[in-house]
Amino acid sequence: MGEIEFSNVDKYFYLQHQKTIKELVAAIFHQKKTLERVHALKNVSFKIKKGESVGIIGKNGAGKSTLLKLMAGVSSPTSGSIKINGRISPLIELGAGFHPELNGKENIFLNGVILGMEEKFLIDKFQEIVDFSEIDMKFIYTPVKYYSSGMYMRLAFAVAVFTQPDILLVDEILAVGDTAFQAKCIKKMEEFKKQAVTTIFVSHSLETVKQFCNRVIYLKEGKVEFDGEVNEGINLYIKS
Amino acid sequence: MLRYYSLLKKLTLREIKARYKQSFLGFFWIILNPLFQMIIMSFIFSKIMKMTGIGVPYPIYLYAGLLPWLFFANSIASAMGALTNNSSLIKKIYFPREILILSTLLAKVFDFSLAIIIFVLLMIFFKIPFTFYMLFFLPIFLLQFIFTYGLSLLLSALNLFYRDIQYLFDLIMTLWFYVTPVIYSTEFFPAEYRYIFKINPMSVFINAYRQVLFNGTYPNWESLGIGFFISMGLYLIAYKVFKKLEGMFADVV
Repeated sequence: MGEIEFSNVDKYFYLQHQKTIKELVAAIFHQKKTLERVHALKNVSFKIKKGESVGIIGKNGAGKSTLLKLMAGVSSPTSGSIKINGRISPLIELGAGFHPELNGKENIFLNGVILGMEEKFLIDKFQEIVDFSEIDMKFIYTPVKYYSSGMYMRLAFAVAVFTQPDILLVDEILAVGDTAFQAKCIKKMEEFKKQAVTTIFVSHSLETVKQFCNRVIYLKEGKVEFDGEVNEGINLYIKS
Repeated sequence: MLRYYSLLKKLTLREIKARYKQSFLGFFWIILNPLFQMIIMSFIFSKIMKMTGIGVPYPIYLYAGLLPWLFFANSIASAMGALTNNSSLIKKIYFPREILILSTLLAKVFDFSLAIIIFVLLMIFFKIPFTFYMLFFLPIFLLQFIFTYGLSLLLSALNLFYRDIQYLFDLIMTLWFYVTPVIYSTEFFPAEYRYIFKINPMSVFINAYRQVLFNGTYPNWESLGIGFFISMGLYLIAYKVFKKLEGMFADVV
């Protein structure tokens, strides 16, 4: 459990220049570009073993997000094969499934179920989740639209860490929140690492990658430019 | 699907709860809105336009068509936004996307059930006899649900690619309303145009509801059969298309 294998994965997608039929008709009339085929990932192959912490680095548009989407299973490859072994938990865009009108408790259950946890498990863990989030019990029955952004994120993070993942996908979450919260995130991720949870880490913060990862995959224009030791990969990236 | 049962349940509850929390009148709106529409239309069409000779009092006749129509129209309207409104989920977490559509529709079924309470009260008020045939209401509604679900799957997926399909469809819905016997009965239409009601599933369903509720007869099987084939056909095609496009949702949303 916890392995990821990409073999000769290619991903094309169509960039739509028009998002409405109205614009589309106008564009066809003026003979403008309508659809652009983008080759987002080019023949990507790698194998990630259980317990590895892999940093994905590369410039904007190098294919990092696409790679993460393929791993999360929300997008399918155009060709090649992807093997994922184990339960994936995305620790990304916290609170994606939150509804502002619902209260903290309702959102814990909603988000928990979205992340694939069982209701029974959530009932058992409810108190622990609230404790971890450090949100005062009296606010748990308040709609989350009245939460401060810090509270909102702490709650979302608390739910996310209680999934018991084999693979953790982390995307830039550390860029948000105060320092205390960031420290808490890192600490929790270190804990996951000790439990041999495979972690895929996408970040622009090379420092965090250095600190946390034991392998980097450097993507350049959709290709794997480098796959291996952290410092070597980062140096190569900086030089380019 | 069983694996995602609790997700479907939670998302449906989210739809229902979130809406009712926003307003104090909450649940009452769901009942009041169609009721007021019915009262206004009843006044116009029975007092001013003189719609008579339909066997039962016009308000209840109208209501029997209006409620299923509103269920249909409201379902389509919210299903169209179901994918676009959940873009952050679609980009990050995998679960079968039809759950998003199904949960919005189930929330509308909840609204519909609430509105039915008033309908039953009106039935009693107008002294319409309750018969065994009324039980056919359920299978007819099931068919209508499948039809609505199929169309919702198709439109929500297409709307993700071109965002003004929902506005375009608003126009179609306006037209569709008038070629469906909601405010009138099919006999008011000139005979040479009545074929429209045969191929329009919404018309098939509404006629069938009225037959089993007011006429105390079985529904017209032939016509319902056409409705069945259109609904199932649409659903199967829509589901296939939806699943085919699903892998691209995260790329375009």
